Amino acid sequence: MILYENRKELLLNIIKWGNNPFKKFVSTGEIKEDIDLVNSRINLIQKIKELVENETNFVLPIIGGVGSGKTHLFWALRNNLYYYNSIYISLEYVYKKLFSNIYSEFIENLEMEPLKFIVNQLCDKWGALERKFGFFHVVDIEKVQKYAFEQLSNKYKEVEPETLKDVINGITIHQLDPYRKIEAERWLLGEIMDAKELSTLNLIHDLRKGKNAYLMLKLLIENSKSGTILFIDDFEKIISITSPQSERAEEIFDPSWLYGTEVTPNDIAADKLFDKIVQLQNIKGLRIIFTLKSKESLVDIRKKYSEKIPELLSFIMEPFYLLEFKEEDVYELYSSTMSKFYESINTSEFANAFQNPYYPLNKRILKNIFERAEGNPRAIIKLLIKIFNEIIYSNECIDAILKNYENTK
Amino acid sequence: MLIMNNSDNIIIFDSTKGINLEGEFQGSIITRCKDENDSIIFSDNLKITASEGIFITNGLRVGFELIYNKKLAFSRKIEAQWYEDFESIEYSILISEDIMQVYDEGQFSDAFPYTLNKLNTAALYLNDEEYGINHLEFFREEMLRNPVSLVGNGVIIADRVVIDERIDPVFYDCLIVGRDENGDLLVSFEPYINVKKSLTDVKYIIILGIEELKL
Repeated sequence: MILYENRKELLLNIIKWGNNPFKKFVSTGEIKEDIDLVNSRINLIQKIKELVENETNFVLPIIGGVGSGKTHLFWALRNNLYYYNSIYISLEYVYKKLFSNIYSEFIENLEMEPLKFIVNQLCDKWGALERKFGFFHVVDIEKVQKYAFEQLSNKYKEVEPETLKDVINGITIHQLDPYRKIEAERWLLGEIMDAKELSTLNLIHDLRKGKNAYLMLKLLIENSKSGTILFIDDFEKIISITSPQSERAEEIFDPSWLYGTEVTPNDIAADKLFDKIVQLQNIKGLRIIFTLKSKESLVDIRKKYSEKIPELLSFIMEPFYLLEFKEEDVYELYSSTMSKFYESINTSEFANAFQNPYYPLNKRILKNIFERAEGNPRAIIKLLIKIFNEIIYSNECIDAILKNYENTK
Repeated sequence: MLIMNNSDNIIIFDSTKGINLEGEFQGSIITRCKDENDSIIFSDNLKITASEGIFITNGLRVGFELIYNKKLAFSRKIEAQWYEDFESIEYSILISEDIMQVYDEGQFSDAFPYTLNKLNTAALYLNDEEYGINHLEFFREEMLRNPVSLVGNGVIIADRVVIDERIDPVFYDCLIVGRDENGDLLVSFEPYINVKKSLTDVKYIIILGIEELKL
């Protein structure tokens, strides 16, 4: 029979087994985050939500310094606007094969059943579901493909006929030919396919080649019942792409031999990327939110737009800013993360069990952390990780460890 | 009066109940004929006037005909046909668009990609003392697309029929048009219906040929 339970000791023991409540200080587009935004940022989410619901096409810049929580904002947005298709892409890592990467993210987020519904609706529009004699669906794929081609070639004059044919064949075969449906579904899901597999479907390219992925994205987004939000992180890349190079690397090839001295290969890559982003803006129903680290980058981007496509400049809205944390935000972040941690170890009652609500730390330490990090969320989380690691690995008693942080400025 | 995209079933003509709605109807219409072989007409339009009778263009008549002492199933396209005397028609009914949409979903189900499509229209079963046909054993445990059947006083049009291990037909995703105990015409959609030959009055099952539907 348990007469007395020392919860503080129990919690410390659990932490000392290596369970750090603060595990990561960098948010990524791949790993889902459940922790909502702190109170001071709720207003920002509300403003974005309003915009998303009222406008179908816009480009919204969000400006925030390094570690200010831009990627975390994506997860908060996605959790709040769960009824939209929200796609995350970081130009830091993805700037080649942009369309096919966005398409993969889109499909992963959309899932199979809605995808089937959209392509079914497309086939319906192209006359595939016409009822012969009022009842019977007689599938004439060639007739449907021909009609679809006539319709789409008028609508999308900028797309090459080869791309149109590939997309129409992929969609119609998936819906109307049960014997080739499985292969067509692989194509539709963006899998890499070899020439033999493609030829059985009368296709030339899979979705990684040419503009196939772009046209598929356009068709799916424009015909999807739920709106789509594309969140582009590290948008500065469309100004200049510079891959980190080792200073010691021996210069074997001088790019200026090929590209001249005025433009570098990186400039060309950045221009291509810019063109692709502009094409994305032409997709009806696609709301684009991009993040930048500074106001200066936005000035550069606006300049690039006004030089190249001034008519699209008006799509870029006034930026929203991700400000640094306020002092109260640190307490809130700490409390919400600890609550999640308690839930994960099946001790939710610990959230209200201690007299000091910030146990094992305390308000003074959290205040010190806020001051040392100057309100930067990433720096705050880094410091919290450091303290908890010390609790886990140090042989000193907790009071001695915490004393160092209480006194540090 | 032109009626299309109806949300309710409309009984256009019923010889038993004396219903005769004059006008032009578009949608999914089943007309049951009063002839020796209970043939059925599927059409997407029907015009009816008191003076001229029933006019159908671009329809499909399904039934049996006697050729060289053998009964053969047929499905024949009707380009344009007047049925001046109402005597030859038992009823015409326009199926509601809501029911048709549910029926369409069944037709595009990808759960059974390997259903057999027959190229030409043929009889799977005919209950007739003299000219009876029974190919059910041959198609045991097979799945055939586009069956049309007359069971008792009801018409079944289904997406597919499976002949089960007891050699009984099971219709999937089917529309049923029939009369209730008061003789009123009713339409329903059933995801599947098991028809036991030994217990029910199956008059015939015809499998519509895909090539003949394309005509």
